[in-house]
Amino acid sequence: MLLIRAALGGRGPGLGLTPARRALSTLTGGDLGSQEQALTTGLPSPGAVPLLRRCELPVPVHRTPVQAWVESLRGYEDTRLGLADLHPDVFEVPPRLDILHEVAIWQKNFKRISYAKTKTRAEVRGGGRKPWKQKGSGRARHGSIRSPIWRGGGIAHGPRGPTSYYYMLPMKVRVLGLKVALTVKLMQDDLHVVDSLELPTSDPRYLSDLFRHRCWGDSVLLVDVDEEMPQNIVSAVSNLKTINLVPAVGLNVHSMLKHQTLVLTLNTVAFLEKKLLWHDNRYTALYPFHLPYSDFP
Amino acid sequence: MQLGSGAVRGGGGARSSPSRVSAVMAAFSGLHSSCGWLARTILRTPRRALWSQNRKKEEEVKVPERAVEIKEEPILECPPPRSRKYVPPEDLQSRVESHVKGVFGTCTNNNWQETSLEESRLKFFLLAQLAEEFGHVVPNSRLHEMRSVRDVVHFYSIPVQDGTKFDEISSRQLPSNLKITWDY
Repeated sequence: MLLIRAALGGRGPGLGLTPARRALSTLTGGDLGSQEQALTTGLPSPGAVPLLRRCELPVPVHRTPVQAWVESLRGYEDTRLGLADLHPDVFEVPPRLDILHEVAIWQKNFKRISYAKTKTRAEVRGGGRKPWKQKGSGRARHGSIRSPIWRGGGIAHGPRGPTSYYYMLPMKVRVLGLKVALTVKLMQDDLHVVDSLELPTSDPRYLSDLFRHRCWGDSVLLVDVDEEMPQNIVSAVSNLKTINLVPAVGLNVHSMLKHQTLVLTLNTVAFLEKKLLWHDNRYTALYPFHLPYSDFP
Repeated sequence: MQLGSGAVRGGGGARSSPSRVSAVMAAFSGLHSSCGWLARTILRTPRRALWSQNRKKEEEVKVPERAVEIKEEPILECPPPRSRKYVPPEDLQSRVESHVKGVFGTCTNNNWQETSLEESRLKFFLLAQLAEEFGHVVPNSRLHEMRSVRDVVHFYSIPVQDGTKFDEISSRQLPSNLKITWDY
C-alpha cells in the first residue's frame, strides 16, 4: 500500500489511494499481492466498498445531515476513503459567536483564584496612636500614621484576600458552545474525520509532513474516544508541540479555537452526537447528574 | 593500580582478550610508581588497539541494518506539495456527464443534471472520481450543498487561484501612478 503511494507520488493529487485499494488493503492486511493488484487498477470500480457512516440518532425530518470525507492517517494520499453523515443538530447549528465567547471566557475564568491581598490601615503594623495633637502644632491633623494617605500606610480599596472567580454556566449553554464550535470548525474547512488514529510509524516527522502535505494548518487537535490510543500516535504526538491528542471527554471550546484543525475519529463523532443530542430533549434535572440516571448517555 | 584496571575495563569491556588484559594490568602494576603521563601514554596505545578490533566488528553488524533503513525511507517519503490552483476545463460538462453515466448507469438520459445525490454510496463514487479527474476536491463545508449533479457542475466551474489577491495584483501590469511596496 505504501509502496504504491511512493511510486505514484510525483504524478499529482488525483491518483492516490482509491477506495478499491483501501478496501483491498484492509481486506488482505496490506500484503504484497494486494499491492501488485492495486498498482494495475485505475479509478475506483463500483464494486469497491467505501466507508459510509450514517447518523445513529434520528435526524429531524425537515433537515438533512451534513457530510464530511472520511480520511486516514496511514498514508499521505489516504484521503476520500468514504463519506460520513454528521447530525445537523450538532454540526449545523446557527453560528452563535456570543455563546462561543461566553463559554471560552468561562473556561478561562472559572478556575481562577487570585491570591492578591493587601493590608488595610487596620492590618498595617502600628498606627494606633494619634501622631501629634489636634491643634497647635501647625501640621495637618491626622489620627494615625497608617492611614491610606500616609506613606507606608494601608491600602484603602485594594484586593482583599484570595478571590475566587468561579461560576458555572448552565449545562445547556456549555453544550451549545461545543455544538457551535464543531459547526464553525466544519464550515470553515478545519474539521476532518478519520477512520482511526493508526499510524505506520511512530516518527513525529511523518505526522508533521502528513499535515503539511494536506495543508491542515500549523496546529492540529486529534480526538479519540477512549484514553487508550495506538502507541504510534501517542509517541509521535508526545514529541510534537503543536499537535495534541485528547480523549473525547477532554474536548472543549478553548482547545478547538486554539488549534487550527480538528481531527475526529468516527467513534468520536458517534460519541459526541450521542452525548450532545441528549440535552436537546431531556427533562430538567431533579437531582445532580453525577448520581445515576437511567437514560443518561 | 585500581584506577588503571578500572580504566582498562571501561575502555575494552568484555570484548578484549584475557591475555591482553592481563598483560596491560601487569604493565600497570609495574608502572604504578612512575609519572602519570607515562601511565596515560601506555593507557592510550592498548585502548586504540582494542577499539580498532571493536570497530571492525561494529561495521560488520551495521551494514545489514542500513540496508533495511534505506528500504523504509521511500515508502514514507512525503510527496511533493501540490498547488491548489484549479482551472475548469472546457469540456467540463461532457466529462461530468460521462462520470455520472458511469456511476449511475444510463437511467436518466434527458436531464442528467437533475440526478439527485441522495444516496451516499453513489455520491461518494461520483465525487471521488471527479476529484481524481480534475485534481480538485469538494471541501467538507460544501459537501452537504451537493444535492444534485447541477450543484457539482457549478462547483467545478469556479476557478481557484493559489495565492492571495495581493500577489495577483502585483503580478499584473500596474498603472504608472500605482506602486506596491513589499517591505514596510
